[in-house]
Amino acid sequence: MLYVKDLHKSYEVGKTKYPVLKGIDFHVAQGEFVAVMGPSGSGKTTLLNCISCYIPFDKGSITVGGIKLAGQNEETLARVRNTKLGFVFQDFMLLDGLTIRENILVPRIVQGEVGQEAEQLTDKLAAMFGIEHILNKYPAEISGGEKQRTAVARSLINNPLIILADEPTGNLDSKSSRTVIEAFGNAKAQMNATIFMVTHDSFAASFCDRVILLKDGNIYRQLEKNGSRSEFQDELLDVIKEMSE
Amino acid sequence: MAQTIDMKQMEQKLQRADRKQSRLYLFCNFTAVMIISAYSALMFSPTVQTVFPEGGDSRKQMYMIFVLTLVGCVVFTIYALGLFFRHKSGQLGILMALGASRRRLAPGLFREVFVLSGASAVIGIIAGFPFVWIVWNGFRLILVDSSDMILSFDFKCLFVSLAFLLMVVGFACLTAWRYLKKTNIMEVIREEHINEPIKELGKWCGPVGAVVILIGAVMGYGAPFVCHRWFHTFPPSWLGVLYTPVFVGLYMVMLHTVVHGWKRHKKNPYKNIISRSMMKFQGKQTVNNLLIITLLIAGGCFAIFYLPSMTVSAMIRYADQSYDYFYKYRADQNIPGREEIEALGSKYQLSFKDWGECEYITLGIGGNTEIYDDGGKRYHIEYVPMLVETKILSEDAYYMITGEKVDVKSGTYLNLTNQEESSSYTNKSARELTNMVTREQIDTTFAGYLHYDLLTDDVGCCVLDNDDYAKISEGLTDDWKGRMVWFNVDGKDSYQFANAFYDLYVDSFDERCEHPSFYDRVTKIRENEAGETYWGDTERMTKISYEQSDSFDFRQFWAYQPDFRILSQNDFLRNVAVLCMMFLFIFIVCLLTALVVCYTRCQTIVLNNRYVFDDLKKLGASPDFLSREVRSQCHNIFKVPTIIGMTGMYLFYTMIMYANDGRLLSAEWLALLVDLTILAAIGAAVYAVYRASVATLKRQLGI
Repeated sequence: MLYVKDLHKSYEVGKTKYPVLKGIDFHVAQGEFVAVMGPSGSGKTTLLNCISCYIPFDKGSITVGGIKLAGQNEETLARVRNTKLGFVFQDFMLLDGLTIRENILVPRIVQGEVGQEAEQLTDKLAAMFGIEHILNKYPAEISGGEKQRTAVARSLINNPLIILADEPTGNLDSKSSRTVIEAFGNAKAQMNATIFMVTHDSFAASFCDRVILLKDGNIYRQLEKNGSRSEFQDELLDVIKEMSE
Repeated sequence: MAQTIDMKQMEQKLQRADRKQSRLYLFCNFTAVMIISAYSALMFSPTVQTVFPEGGDSRKQMYMIFVLTLVGCVVFTIYALGLFFRHKSGQLGILMALGASRRRLAPGLFREVFVLSGASAVIGIIAGFPFVWIVWNGFRLILVDSSDMILSFDFKCLFVSLAFLLMVVGFACLTAWRYLKKTNIMEVIREEHINEPIKELGKWCGPVGAVVILIGAVMGYGAPFVCHRWFHTFPPSWLGVLYTPVFVGLYMVMLHTVVHGWKRHKKNPYKNIISRSMMKFQGKQTVNNLLIITLLIAGGCFAIFYLPSMTVSAMIRYADQSYDYFYKYRADQNIPGREEIEALGSKYQLSFKDWGECEYITLGIGGNTEIYDDGGKRYHIEYVPMLVETKILSEDAYYMITGEKVDVKSGTYLNLTNQEESSSYTNKSARELTNMVTREQIDTTFAGYLHYDLLTDDVGCCVLDNDDYAKISEGLTDDWKGRMVWFNVDGKDSYQFANAFYDLYVDSFDERCEHPSFYDRVTKIRENEAGETYWGDTERMTKISYEQSDSFDFRQFWAYQPDFRILSQNDFLRNVAVLCMMFLFIFIVCLLTALVVCYTRCQTIVLNNRYVFDDLKKLGASPDFLSREVRSQCHNIFKVPTIIGMTGMYLFYTMIMYANDGRLLSAEWLALLVDLTILAAIGAAVYAVYRASVATLKRQLGI
């Protein structure tokens, strides 16, 4: 599904080069729910932005659904973003001028394929995430949790191979966070969605099948959930503590 | 089931949602283009072109301020475009992130910016014409009207406006393309929230900037003098580069304003910290804006200061004029005599007193002059006999006019000048005077000045010993002789009489006298005899016509223009109306543009920083505190450029006046005083707009 091999990325500030990712290797399988955790500056968001084709990377390879991202032209990358990937951002990134229904449909509108099937899928997703009653409202008129569930619905409208989520619960209270994470769970259960999520939140990460822990641009450890959610969260907290020592 | 929408409909919906941003962009573009269109329409109109002397200072001043306004408007439209795209980039970024390719986004984006920039620019160009027409005819209705002021357009001005339109649309499309070309989508998304902090310089920056401005102004203004006086060369046009430090200094002062501010916050270092930080983090834009506003206000002041400096000295001269009526004419002209004038006066119930008449002659006078070499680039001073014409009075004639007895030694001459000895038509170097009919000469030397304003006109005037006068005038024909006439009105004068007399006076001259005062018969004879063509006989000479005896050109330049006090006083503004009104118009345009930029800059406080104010409210900031923060930002935007622009130009103008002759004349002191009053009025206008802007911002922020 998603293969990342020897990924390097650095930023240049003036004449100084700051390496952020120093050779990352991992893969995510179909239907898997994977989280990436790590302290600030560990390279989580940069990793996600590289996979999302938002920023170019220096070295290594990323393969999504069999398509190697390196060396692709802008048109192909846009098509990958539109058809193979779904996105959920920390600050929702809904378009203020469009209704919730239209916001969910944006990837289809961009694709130029808004038909009956898309409308029905929108209704289905809205029902799945409990936002069917706000479909004709505008983003300014709904709560943060509803906005994020809208974003999750939008990320699924094109049946992507993988959903990329950047701190999806970062701007939400605990109740809304839980609802959003449950929405991901629903997507995985009902649509066999693959989810790749960057988060600081050990509670959100404890819902995942696997957690990749990053430190200073390298993979520090990968943890798989074997027991209950709360045991997995405790294990995560222990490793995070160990990382900071 | 909701109605499905396609890409185009979605873009239209998003554009509708962004109408506040679009409106601001439209407003900025429209204003900038309208101002350029109006300015160029008036500047290139035959009405203005015929009045502003070719190569004259006033014309240069008009062009200079136009360039300044143009630069201001260009930077302003780029700023407005930047604001528009800062907001638009969020939308573009989200669509790119969700898989919209450049090819997919380009048509909608280009359509939007093309329509917005194109429409606002086209409407701006069109609106420029009614704008200038309304303002100009408003002047005619309210202030002054004359035949010179009938407004006509030369559509050549459209080239400037169209070039500006192309620039506006071009820049808009270029910016759109630049956004689409960005490869880092996260940069596009975050663009709206990216700050533009500027490199902080030490607190020396502002004071040093002020010194640099001073150095630039002195260098820029002084360099042509140095070229002229020390090196005897004409200053090349590139010498204007020496003004560059003024702009560098201004930038430093503005940088200091934004980064440090001019108030010391030692007692309360946290005072206005929010507004100071906001300004600092949008430093680049703020400094650019402050610079534009300063330059526009300075340009406006430069234009409006022209009015007092031109009118005050004339008004003083008319008020101090020794006679109500004073005129001179060639002896070969059939001018109405005393009886005819008294008969005309009786029609207006006027009687006259202090009547006097005397003879004068016109001779060729020698003198030092600039001889051009090296293709006109350099010159040297050389003595030329029969250099120019001069009017000559005898001692007796001078006594008759002035009541002052003078004793001129034989073989010398006394040169007439005004009370403050500021007349340009003095000649201290003559060695001989020439009778242009017989070519007889008498040797002479300069023996000093006499002061009498009425005899100080565009052609030099000298007084000779009675015997010398009689000797040199022998054999002169009537075209080289003339008469001076003067009288006062016994009681209150009548403007109607003065007007009727003026018409009668002008009508009695024949075509031989239909020329400006600077048409010099002595120079013509000398050059013709040397086989050259006198420039006065070429197309370059200003043409005047009896048909337009109330026009600016005629009254300003006619060789026999009489001094009728009541006519001069009443018609002065009418005679110089086009000049005055053009400068008044330039002032209005500059001030208006500056205020629009100030207002727009303040608007961006709301657009960019609303969330800061919302957060402060949540943190419990009182309305008073929030108001103070809003006021503090607006205050800096309005106050600093206004003070610097006004003060800088006032000092510069004082320097110009002083540098003319190394002193300030009484009329110049008075003009500077009037300028101060004007500055107070400008300050009041800026303050009113500042108050209105603060009130609008507070309303928009819900404070």
